[in-house]
Amino acid sequence: MTGAPALSRAARARRLRTDLTGWAFVAPALLLFLLFVIWPMGHAVWISLHRWDGLGQMAWLGLDNYRFVFGDKVFWKAMHNTFIYAFGVTVAKNLLALGLALLLNRPLRGRGFFRTASFTPVVLSFVVVGVLWSWIFDPTFGLLNAVLWALGLQGLIQGWLSDPDIALYSIMFVDVWKWTGYHTVLFLAGLQTIPSELIEAGRLEGKPRQVFRHVTLPLLMPVVAFSVLLSIVGAFVSNYDLVRVMTQGGPFHSTEVALTWITTTAFRFNNFGKADAMSVILFLIVAVLGAVQFLLMRQRGRG
Amino acid sequence: MSTMVTEGRRSSIAPRVASYLLMAIMAVLALYPLVWMALGSLKSGGEFYTNIWGLPADPQWRNFPDAWVRGGLGIKFLNSAIVTFGTLAITLPVTSIAAYAITSMDFRGRSLAYGALLLGIMIPFGVTAIPVFSVIAQLGLLNTRLALVLVYSAQAVAFSTFLMCAFFQSLPAEIEEAARLEGCTRFSAFWRVMLPLARPGLAAQAVFVGTTAWNEYFLASLIIRDPARETIPVGLVSFTGRYATDYPALFAALTMATLPLLALYLLAQKQFVAGLTGGAVKG
Repeated sequence: MTGAPALSRAARARRLRTDLTGWAFVAPALLLFLLFVIWPMGHAVWISLHRWDGLGQMAWLGLDNYRFVFGDKVFWKAMHNTFIYAFGVTVAKNLLALGLALLLNRPLRGRGFFRTASFTPVVLSFVVVGVLWSWIFDPTFGLLNAVLWALGLQGLIQGWLSDPDIALYSIMFVDVWKWTGYHTVLFLAGLQTIPSELIEAGRLEGKPRQVFRHVTLPLLMPVVAFSVLLSIVGAFVSNYDLVRVMTQGGPFHSTEVALTWITTTAFRFNNFGKADAMSVILFLIVAVLGAVQFLLMRQRGRG
Repeated sequence: MSTMVTEGRRSSIAPRVASYLLMAIMAVLALYPLVWMALGSLKSGGEFYTNIWGLPADPQWRNFPDAWVRGGLGIKFLNSAIVTFGTLAITLPVTSIAAYAITSMDFRGRSLAYGALLLGIMIPFGVTAIPVFSVIAQLGLLNTRLALVLVYSAQAVAFSTFLMCAFFQSLPAEIEEAARLEGCTRFSAFWRVMLPLARPGLAAQAVFVGTTAWNEYFLASLIIRDPARETIPVGLVSFTGRYATDYPALFAALTMATLPLLALYLLAQKQFVAGLTGGAVKG
């Protein structure tokens, strides 16, 4: 561009018009995003430095709210549970789905029906799913214990949602139930883009394991990355609905997750300052996770 | 030689059988809870406890009108429909025109605009629920359906723009250039040429955004306080609390809440699978 003659006035006017039109076209999207995503987070940082009940005057506290949060045992319990939930559910969904997809990646009759069936729970809301599974888990009248009884497996009968050692895992199971079909369909679609000659060639040589490691998995990596990113980020949020509907965080905070505790702090204890301090901390953690994942994905894409 | 052939055939039959078995187990696991819900909705209060997994002895069809009236489900369906279509009415035009500008106009700052939106994909929105609640309160929009429409649209913007960009990029650039050479303004090139071509992308997006809005509970439960403005998920949770002992009615309410989306899904599976997987699966 250096040494090029200065743009003529007409060209500059055209350039400016393109700029203005471009920004006019993206403005509504950006405005919505700034107003209801970026601004709330900035505002939350400000509120987190105050004592505030959500209605009255705000009183400056400095970093005290953060100190309260770090000293709050339930918050740490909730964070711990959130991490167990997010990672447990992500690993379970993706491993199960990958295994299923590998097994089903052959021309089978009825695969369309299978896809329709296993994708169905995805369409349902977490509220419906949560209420339904609370009933399936009911210790006396629930389907699960009735099935176990009928199979002669009385020893396995549990208070699925009332036993503090089990409740969180029961809820995680429901999340996995809702989404495994989804990830299976994702992986199946990914597998279908891999030329079958590549896999067949390896199979004929009798080295299915090597084929998987050196052909299938690398080619499937973008799909795996997408699928894992989706489930991690999703699991940090979806746990709210299920926990709220199924256990309200109990028994004894054993299923408390970050979002339910934040909401309780804000609306039951009317402590918006502390609730926003927790939101900021959670936001930072998730943002770091997201960024790491994003960078990993980009690196994979390059390499 | 012949043994080798049978050997080979046997080894290809076993995984086939295993696959069918797995498919069957998966399908039953996915569908049986729903069947159980539908069966439960037809049982009487007493039978619900005594006949846990059988067919209802004497189907109680009136559980449905009962639940409908007691749960005030009519108004809740209406509210969910208003919120969902409102969200679509904002999201679809706003994100497709933004995606058009980002993919086919060379304006200064375009990568800045796109980068800002991409950031949004990495923010899971539940994390911002309490902060969003405070902003909605400041704007005086608490307890309104408009608040839900705005918040859901804002949350959809990042991902939807991203999807539409991918879609526009998959169209040949010459089409847009030709339209411009024919004397179309930017807006009419977008509106009359590009948008009609983007119909499959719009359909997939509508499914994704619409399903998310229809099913959203967290923010709706914070923002809406008036039972007459509750959406279906919020209404179902209040129903659970209020009629905690009338299970068949609760199951009838659950069944009714599930039916519209389930029916749509069965009618338009391709669009649903493509939309909910962000275009990763072409249906």
